[in-house]
Amino acid sequence: MTFFNSPSFPGRSLFARRVKDSHPKEQKDPGWKLFGKVPPREGHIKDPKKIQKEYETKSGRAGPDNPTSPRQSARKNLDFEPLSTTALILEDRPANLPAKPAEEAQKHRQQYEEMVAQAKKRELKEAQKRRKQLEDRCKLEESIGSAAQTWNQDILPNWSAMRTSRRVRDLWWQGIPPSVRGKVWSLAVGNDLNITHELYNICLARAKEKWKSIAAPASDSEPDDAGSSDRESSLELIKLDISRTFPQLCIFQQGGPYHDVLHSILGAYTCYRPDVGYVQGMSFIAAVLILNLDTADTFIAFTNLLNKPCQMAFFRVDHSLMLTYFAAFEVFFEENLPKLFAHFQKNNLSPDIYLIDWIFTLYSKSLPLDLACRVWDVFCRDGEEFLFRTALGLLRLYQDVLTCMDFIHMAQFLTRLPDLIPADQLFQHIAAIHMSSRNRKWSQQHSGTKTTHITLRYKQRVMSYCRRFYFGLRHIVILHSISPWETRIF
Amino acid sequence: MQNNHHKERLYKILVIGDLGVGKTSIIKRYVHHNFSPNYRATIGVDFALKVLNWDQETVRLQLWDIAGQERFGNMTRVYYREAMGAFIVFDVTRPASFEAVTKWKEDLDSKLTLANGKNVATVLLANKCDQGRDVLTNNGIKMEQFCLENGFVGWYETSAKENINIDEAANCLVKHIIANENDMLQSEVLDTISPQLEKDKGGTCSSCFRSQ
Repeated sequence: MTFFNSPSFPGRSLFARRVKDSHPKEQKDPGWKLFGKVPPREGHIKDPKKIQKEYETKSGRAGPDNPTSPRQSARKNLDFEPLSTTALILEDRPANLPAKPAEEAQKHRQQYEEMVAQAKKRELKEAQKRRKQLEDRCKLEESIGSAAQTWNQDILPNWSAMRTSRRVRDLWWQGIPPSVRGKVWSLAVGNDLNITHELYNICLARAKEKWKSIAAPASDSEPDDAGSSDRESSLELIKLDISRTFPQLCIFQQGGPYHDVLHSILGAYTCYRPDVGYVQGMSFIAAVLILNLDTADTFIAFTNLLNKPCQMAFFRVDHSLMLTYFAAFEVFFEENLPKLFAHFQKNNLSPDIYLIDWIFTLYSKSLPLDLACRVWDVFCRDGEEFLFRTALGLLRLYQDVLTCMDFIHMAQFLTRLPDLIPADQLFQHIAAIHMSSRNRKWSQQHSGTKTTHITLRYKQRVMSYCRRFYFGLRHIVILHSISPWETRIF
Repeated sequence: MQNNHHKERLYKILVIGDLGVGKTSIIKRYVHHNFSPNYRATIGVDFALKVLNWDQETVRLQLWDIAGQERFGNMTRVYYREAMGAFIVFDVTRPASFEAVTKWKEDLDSKLTLANGKNVATVLLANKCDQGRDVLTNNGIKMEQFCLENGFVGWYETSAKENINIDEAANCLVKHIIANENDMLQSEVLDTISPQLEKDKGGTCSSCFRSQ
């Protein structure tokens, strides 16, 4: 017996003549058929309807008695079978050796048939899988295409009227087609700051001046006129961080096509908001926007996005505000995933350990980019609350894995999520997370006394955070809220 | 502190220093034995676990790779808690990152002390030594002096890229951590046996206790 991997059709048909069939009932058929066609019986048992149909039309065209021309069958093979197949050839002993005893020959034949049948089964399965993938991809492309059309023709022209409609919200949840993503993000983020392209150019020009003065050796010793040392070094930090932004994409690095764009956006921002300056995490946000928008529009979206309350709290590193976010998150964590929450508490794994990265980069660093964009889609729809809902969705998705881990393994897992995260599953888990006062169901459930209850617990949690962070309660945080997401600090 | 009787010790170690000095690279080299010029910036904190065999004991090092931007300083100081040792890293090609070393050390010491009141063992790493030498690190005596003045237990010129001195530096740190731990254990034991020693609390050095 020999295994032979036949790479091309002539070779295959040549060897096929010597191949004996695996099916005892059709023993005299040429072995080629073994690999070229699949016997209908097995097809009936294993295959989905579509593949079955294809067999029928195929065998109809080819004719059951006609061994078929190699070319014809080759083309058909392409439909659902691999080009290269592992052919197993049963051969008699070479002539110079004594022949096998009949019993042994029979046994070998039997083994041979079993092996061939198995190999065929496996190949079929793989072919089906590939076929399914192809079908899925086609379906996906089709749906993206039609969704893009809907967005372009129906939704975008009537944005303000349609953005809150049920239909649009549903479509939005499924992910915005990449071709309209930038437009939708821009519209959803808005431009409350009234940033214009001119303003961007002014800020950029200022940033460029600064770079020049930094490059000049004399200014090194000169203290900068306005403000903190952090701000002074902003431009230096940007330089260091740009090359560390999506390094695997190789487009933001020195010499890459978007290096200068990213540099410009971040530089212009530090001139637009010198009080905030550059903070790590910004480079990832700007990079994701650059991938979906023109430069000036990126700047508009970037500044407005960072101006949202949650982003401002984080990028200004406003501790007390950040603590209220973490504490609110924990309330929902406990509500939604009590077992995992208890496990985290037992292991002293506090949300700041994993949330900081997720919130600062809006998941663009921790999730695969396409998935991160889908999170951004719904973040643009639902606001900051969705960032925390996504976090809970992730925890829910990996709940079983996490409950088996100790502190360090959980921390490692959460700060470095798996490379492959099934998007649909993640979104199912996010959908299963209940939160937000905007969601009626939630507010109904948690109205009245329960709200007070939650608020109280929430307050306690913020206090305990403050104690941890400040080593003494210097800040008194008073929360007044119907929803923990609407908090205020006096 | 009952670890001593177990065959396993667990230590939390901080890796701090300015942004982009190579903290993540050093950890990757130490734990995963590889190097890439393309690490992503660390936001918040990252983690790694290194398991060592140390005198027939298992030593587990929990490495906390803390984001370097100064702005995060107040936010990340909560991460210092319960650490037993630290690496402070600077980039020999960027003098500013060396100037920040004393700031990092002061920050660390002000927020973290061992149960016996001593500062945690800290090793200074002069990273990227493959990219040319800093004038300062060229002067070994000066660096020794700097370490002595600032309370570092040692310093190493390291290169995550070329795998220079990383293991050595880590071993040095672990050695000092274990010594600190043994000191504390000993003083605890002494405290329980002869409480009158409390009067002589002035001596923080373990050898003083031993000689008494």
